[in-house]
Amino acid sequence: MIDLIATLQPLVVGAVLIWSARVKLVSTHAAAAANRSALARLVGQDRALPAYRLLGGMEVTLGGLLLLPPVLRAEALAATVLAVAFLGYLAYARRAAPTSSCGCLSARPTPVSGRSLARAGLLAVAGGLALLATEGWSTALAGRPPAGVGVLLVELAAVVALSPELDHVWLLPLRRLRARLTHPLRGGSGVPLLATVQQLQLSDAYRRVAPLLRSDVREHWDDGDWRFVGHAARYQGRLVTAVFAVPLTDREPDAVRVAVVDNATGHTLLSLAGTPPAAGPRLSVVPA
Amino acid sequence: MNQTLDRRRLLATAALGGVVGATGLGSLAPEAAFAAEPATIDSGAPDPNFAEGRISKISGSMLLVTGSDTVLHSIRITDGTSIWKLHPTTFDKVAIGDGLYARGVRLPDGTLAADSVWLNIVNLHGHIAAVGRNVLHLDHQGRRIVAHVVPDRSAAVYNGTPAVSDLSLLRVGRHVQVLGAWHPDTNEVDIATVYAAA
Repeated sequence: MIDLIATLQPLVVGAVLIWSARVKLVSTHAAAAANRSALARLVGQDRALPAYRLLGGMEVTLGGLLLLPPVLRAEALAATVLAVAFLGYLAYARRAAPTSSCGCLSARPTPVSGRSLARAGLLAVAGGLALLATEGWSTALAGRPPAGVGVLLVELAAVVALSPELDHVWLLPLRRLRARLTHPLRGGSGVPLLATVQQLQLSDAYRRVAPLLRSDVREHWDDGDWRFVGHAARYQGRLVTAVFAVPLTDREPDAVRVAVVDNATGHTLLSLAGTPPAAGPRLSVVPA
Repeated sequence: MNQTLDRRRLLATAALGGVVGATGLGSLAPEAAFAAEPATIDSGAPDPNFAEGRISKISGSMLLVTGSDTVLHSIRITDGTSIWKLHPTTFDKVAIGDGLYARGVRLPDGTLAADSVWLNIVNLHGHIAAVGRNVLHLDHQGRRIVAHVVPDRSAAVYNGTPAVSDLSLLRVGRHVQVLGAWHPDTNEVDIATVYAAA
């Protein structure tokens, strides 16, 4: 079995390398991906893109050599060295430039995570196993197709599972499905305070009293169809409370009322009723 | 308790009562209000009437706050100070270790008499990576943030429409902005408002 697995490793490593080279060589977002990666920090902003392309060239060459016969131990050795070097690069990127993107398998900004490191480690192990291969992967696969395909599928699944770049293809849809089936976000009921404050801030009463207000919302309570919202305010040198009455369920900022009450005496110093809708001739629009 | 109820009854009656003090309206014009407060802040200088930091000590109604630039602030909480901690709350909910933003008036002795204090307030953008039972897992610049939905407190604003308490339209993978209250020294927040497209 270990022979079969070892023999198939050049195929796995080669495929991943060519896939990885694709974003570096032919993607239209290669420049952006290079600048987001830790290469920009390692070799400088100007040389990040050439270095990125050079890496892609190495990957596609090595990947092609691994996929094509003959089987050479030097190819597997080169792939292992590349994978180990990449592991080192990712570890460096994570330490030196934690906000940089991996730039590994896709141009999507993806921070270097434990999964990226595990994937690079997996490739290094696969490259090491490939050193043991004695025959070409095509003959091995033709000899034992079910076992060979099984090994390849397991490794492919492992690479995909360890690639944060591919989460949007399989992981997010799965999570979306689970959320649709289980409805986990219950939230609450009733009118949130923010809805009242939004309505309040659109009202004429608030516009006229706003310069007096000193504080954010201090207290609020519901009574019947009204929600009352209290702010600390200062009026004619006195500490006062500006209390707004806002319709709880209806959305009619014009109906908002306000009173300014002296904190010391409890006297109402000022109160404004909501302005009634403008009287006078109106243009009535009747749908045709 | 009765005192609060009496006070609220008084305020409610005042708000719903008749129109008083029509003559006072003249002084309500914005020009008059702003004329009394000339702008005294030089451009580029820190706003003297604002402070931020973590509470290191509470003595009486005074908060000792260490700013993120290690400047120490003394902040006095008055009877008229609004205190926000996920929602408008009271002084007894203030705890050592809470982060705060405070706005008020700088007194001659250097203390800030606070008009408004917001405890642990955060404002962050992220993508919803996963959804659990009343929990959003947010991907925020490559880091994971756990945002708790607090029933009857958390609100959602979809497409800029008025806030509602129904959060079920949030979708995994979508971008959201969350205003909330941080749990100090963790990567968890309670959601006050989540802004999303729907």
